[in-house]
Amino acid sequence: MMKWLKKCYLALVLIFLYVPIIVLIVQSFNAGKSRAKWEGFSLRWYIELFQDERTLQALFVTLSIAVLAMIVSTVLGTLAAIGIHAMKKRPQALMMTLTNLPNTMPDIVTGISLMLLFIFTKVERGYVTMLLAHITFDTPYVILSVLPKLKQMNRHTYEAALDLGATPMYALFHVIIPQCKQGIITGAMLAFTLSLDDFTISYFTTSPLVQNLSTLIYSSARKGIDPSLNALSALMFVALLVLLLIVNRRTAEDK
Amino acid sequence: MTPEQLSERIALARTKDHLIDLIGITKEFDGTPVLRGIDLYIRKKEFVTLLGPSGCGKTTTLRIIGGFETATEGALLFEGQDIAALPPYKRRVNTVFQKYALFPHLNVYDNIAFGLKLKKLPKKVIDEKVEQMLELVNLKGYARRHVEALSGGQQQRVAIARSLVNEPEVLLLDEPLGALDLKLRKEMQLELKNMQQRLGITFIYVTHDQEEALTMSDTIVVMKDGTIQQIGDPKSIYDEPANAFVADFIGESNILRGTMVQDELVRFAGANFPCVDFGFGENAPVDVVIRPEDIMLVGEDVGQIVGTIKSVLFKGVHYEMMIDAGEYTFKVHSTTMQPQGSKVGLNIVPFNIHIMKPMEEVASNEI
Repeated sequence: MMKWLKKCYLALVLIFLYVPIIVLIVQSFNAGKSRAKWEGFSLRWYIELFQDERTLQALFVTLSIAVLAMIVSTVLGTLAAIGIHAMKKRPQALMMTLTNLPNTMPDIVTGISLMLLFIFTKVERGYVTMLLAHITFDTPYVILSVLPKLKQMNRHTYEAALDLGATPMYALFHVIIPQCKQGIITGAMLAFTLSLDDFTISYFTTSPLVQNLSTLIYSSARKGIDPSLNALSALMFVALLVLLLIVNRRTAEDK
Repeated sequence: MTPEQLSERIALARTKDHLIDLIGITKEFDGTPVLRGIDLYIRKKEFVTLLGPSGCGKTTTLRIIGGFETATEGALLFEGQDIAALPPYKRRVNTVFQKYALFPHLNVYDNIAFGLKLKKLPKKVIDEKVEQMLELVNLKGYARRHVEALSGGQQQRVAIARSLVNEPEVLLLDEPLGALDLKLRKEMQLELKNMQQRLGITFIYVTHDQEEALTMSDTIVVMKDGTIQQIGDPKSIYDEPANAFVADFIGESNILRGTMVQDELVRFAGANFPCVDFGFGENAPVDVVIRPEDIMLVGEDVGQIVGTIKSVLFKGVHYEMMIDAGEYTFKVHSTTMQPQGSKVGLNIVPFNIHIMKPMEEVASNEI
């Protein structure tokens, strides 16, 4: 009986989580415009989606920002992690608090504060400010995924490399980074995923002229939902699902 | 030490045929002194062991020679040149680290070839040298293995090969056998000593294991609290310990407080014993050190002192007996057993009584 109840509970949770998404995906293949009636299978909305200039533009913004933010935050985060790891206990604890703080902060606070910063410094909001914002919220996640790898490392391996004739730079690239490669890749993918699905912070740090997918969907939704957005959301869901599965699998393997 | 004194001593050291000179080396970590003036020289092809309890500064001394720490004061000379400012990758020494510090992302071959690749040697030469090294450390056929799949003893050999392949002038070893079990450790001790003699490389070896030090070294440097207590070859360190600490640390000892009655006569445990030491003055307080195997058990009536056997332990080769005699309890090693509670006589020949100036904190032998 208990067992049965447990299973029911799990099923309910999953249903409430995933039914809306399934409905969305099914609807994206609906031939008609109505959301209430199934008018047959069609790829119409997908075709329309890829013919819409604005959507394609937004897709480009989303992907290019995700890639750039991933690259920059991975480099910054990895170097920061190595620096933090080398610190003495007290400054290290301080730096870790500073690293964790943005992660616990609501997105809306981060978004508004970045917006205020850009207004205050008179930087015109647009592509660059959105990119900077994404780098900002991605970097702590990279630090947090690289740091455990550094902690697992035998700290004498760096000294061993110097001992064998390596310059500090050579040791960094041939001994330290290869040993935390797993953490760096996981961090990069996490950064990419986070950047891809961010709405709140993007919304506050860009101008109406530069839209990524999430801000575009938000602004179109107010005018009434174009069914091609169902297709777009379905695609984003699948892409993120694949990425998350890869990230999860990597972290599971690490353990 | 004033700068003038230091440069004077550097000039003096340069006239000698030393490979490495440590002159007045001190080291502080955040204001805590770890080394309090180390003076030591090392000759070519010597096997030197830094021996002492943990926290005595032996590893710090090694790390200063390796270039991983900088001395707070003092000079470090290599063939007469001051190398204090030289980074580790420019020193002609290589280190075998505690717990080996192999590169886990590389296989055995790439671990050993690491230093050679940095020297940009042609691939063929690297292959040859790695092959030779694998043979030397008995790991032929292991080149493609992953280092983490190897046993502790094998990892140890890879670490040694990785250092030796660079043909260093000096090999620094930081408790390299600490993680191995007893049997393997004994085998590796002999192998290391063998290798050192065959290759003619200077070894500086750090350990807290006195038996290891006695087995392998040409010279032992006994350290305590950041100072050197005694430097000498294994036999003289064992037979003529400079003070009660060394006597206690190297092998087992009975350390007693005594009085030098006159030259060649010492009083302890309520009796006068003839000895061979002199020059301490009359009625001077001294420390007396006697090795447990140097006390002979004889009949009650012919002993210099008489004691009661308090306990008997079988130790394999010998029996260890604790014997109450006068105000002291003596530890005695003997191949013949005396029953517990029986009275025995204790005799010590003059040659086996070691007299030394008293230390402030004498390790008393009350057990």
